[in-house]
Amino acid sequence: MSKPVHPSVDSPEYPPELARLPPGRHGLPREFVSRNQRERLIAGLAEAVAENGYANTTIAHITRHAAVSRRTFYEHFASKDECFVAAYDTVMAELRRRVDEAFNEEEEWPQAVRAGIAAMLEFLTAEPHLARLSMVEALVAGPVVVERYDAAIQGLVPYFEAGRKGRPAEVLAGLSSSTEEALVGGMVSLISRRVFAERTAELESLLPDLVEFALTPYLGSAEAAKVARQG
Amino acid sequence: MAPKSTPRPLPGRHQLSREFIAQHQRARIINALALEVSEKGYRNVTVADIVKRAGIARNTFYENFGSKEDCFLAAQQFAMSAALDRVVEAAGEIDDWSYRVKAGLAAFLRFVAEEPALARTCMVDALAAAPTSARYYEESLQAFISLFRLGRDVSPHGQELPETLEEALIGGVFWILYQRLLDAEADGIEELLPELVEFALTPYLGAEGARAVATAG
Repeated sequence: MSKPVHPSVDSPEYPPELARLPPGRHGLPREFVSRNQRERLIAGLAEAVAENGYANTTIAHITRHAAVSRRTFYEHFASKDECFVAAYDTVMAELRRRVDEAFNEEEEWPQAVRAGIAAMLEFLTAEPHLARLSMVEALVAGPVVVERYDAAIQGLVPYFEAGRKGRPAEVLAGLSSSTEEALVGGMVSLISRRVFAERTAELESLLPDLVEFALTPYLGSAEAAKVARQG
Repeated sequence: MAPKSTPRPLPGRHQLSREFIAQHQRARIINALALEVSEKGYRNVTVADIVKRAGIARNTFYENFGSKEDCFLAAQQFAMSAALDRVVEAAGEIDDWSYRVKAGLAAFLRFVAEEPALARTCMVDALAAAPTSARYYEESLQAFISLFRLGRDVSPHGQELPETLEEALIGGVFWILYQRLLDAEADGIEELLPELVEFALTPYLGAEGARAVATAG
């Protein structure tokens, strides 16, 4: 892959299109609105996929949204799939950054879980296109992305495993080696079914349910429900 | 009809009629598709691959299915109803809800272990293959959701359980199975029964009650 080029705002290569960011794009990290071509292509792919679905997106759609030439596309990516992988990775890195930040701000583990889940729902609600890209389109984007998708979900396991620490023996006895995997799988399934059905706006209302679901194996139903209902 | 079992004639179709042969051919094609998809992923499988694996003529494929997608949807529906039949057969007669869930899960895990390619079709590939298959997948979850939901009647705090609990539980169970299928670990799948039962029952019965059912018999 060639080195990304970074045209300055004043350079003729810098397209005015970037000033016209679509709604919902404002919560995005700098990477997304950044001025280099690679990043423009990634943002272009996200827009094109939102418009056409991944299967029907062509490289022409992407380059039109990115306002770069086809040749420029191939300087950065060998294929549509490769561009998608880059977009997926960017979205997931941002999501993880936000979840980490929220999780680490809390001292108590149950509250940290709540904050992490809230941060995830907030990001996905604010960015419905990216939610769709990362949770629905990712599944049709080919084996490489599917592998990354799986890894991203399995990557959430440690946040829950942290809840085992200091738990009484009888609670630990009730947890199996797959408890955390089942928890993240269940939570992601709940979220992605809403995204799939284009009901992304409902995601934030899932917070209490998800928190209670995630905490019940560690704290029991009653205590988990209490944390879930904290405002 | 599945890879390792002999096709069972459908009720009312006891002679080897033309129709039966056609059914048999259809089943061969479906199995060939499931095997090809589980090896290469849906997107990379061609009709030529399916035809070759099934040992049939290309024409025969198109007599049965309009396209690869059409064939996939048939495979998915076949796998879904086969799995559900087994669950209903195993669990339908059991009165106690928690043991009904256990029996149903056991039957489901056995299906996945015996027919990993077909199971993969409806649990792994269905999500990604086509919009219609993703919709069928959603519908297939509903049957399990209804079974789990009855647990609210036997739970001491059934009224207070989150509305989405069953969806999340099924999603969790499917995710575990999906991971094992992706890693081609179908062999060990039945051993997951106690931990999956415990996971599924804990919100309703509490950890102790769930463990008692999980470890019984």
